[in-house]
Amino acid sequence: MRTSLDEIRKLEAYALGQHSPQESLLMQARLHLDEVLAEKLADQLKVYPLIKQFGRKQLKDEIRNIETQLFEKEQHRNFKEKILSIFNR
Amino acid sequence: MKDSLTSPTGREQFFLQLYQECLPDVAKYISKRGGSLSDAKDIFQDSLVAYYERVVSNDSNSPLNHKAYLFGVVKHLWYKRFHQQRLSSMIREDQSLDEIELSYQAGLEDEYKNIWEFLEKAGEKCMHLLKAFYYDQLNMTQLAKQFGYQSTRSATVQKYKCLEKVRDQVKLKSLQHEDFFG
Repeated sequence: MRTSLDEIRKLEAYALGQHSPQESLLMQARLHLDEVLAEKLADQLKVYPLIKQFGRKQLKDEIRNIETQLFEKEQHRNFKEKILSIFNR
Repeated sequence: MKDSLTSPTGREQFFLQLYQECLPDVAKYISKRGGSLSDAKDIFQDSLVAYYERVVSNDSNSPLNHKAYLFGVVKHLWYKRFHQQRLSSMIREDQSLDEIELSYQAGLEDEYKNIWEFLEKAGEKCMHLLKAFYYDQLNMTQLAKQFGYQSTRSATVQKYKCLEKVRDQVKLKSLQHEDFFG
């Protein structure tokens, strides 16, 4: 693995608490001394919530498609009518 | 159950079953409290997302009680929505529910616009690969298989390459718009 990728891997392991106490201390010292590395970690920490947001959006699209099937396809007509009747009482 | 959720087809089966099994009770609950079909659909969708995230991150072998879990989330979301709507009407009595809904939607669209900008620049395949690993929590063997890599090592290298690509975009974006992640 090339050096920059290995660095990303180590930053991730540090951020996710997968390092041993010694490795973690070593990384803390490096981050303290190397401003560029500290900035890389800060940027990397912004990526994870972004992936989560993307994942949720994709999953919600999948769920909406299933819901559309249930409310539009003939084979699920009984289900649709059952749900609609709850709101038409 | 986790393994069956690694593919879109597996997820489809999973969600179809939950809809058929749980939506009728959820609809009754929301309807009794004055909610609409659209409220029931929205709240159920969000509950399914919460339940999915709980299932894929569940490391123990003990299965979750899906009905109890989903209903817990539904009740919480309904309570939140009901109180938010009441609060909004207290703040501006002349603002219709449609307007409230529109401003909520506009907020969501802004949020998603940022993601699509990233998607364009970082590449769709990369975002899907990262999503499969971090969000769907596939292991390296499943990831390699799903994305067509010969070995788990190649998949691992690709995962870090993608992470680097997105991180570079984050950096660029932060420099261009200081307030982007503020």
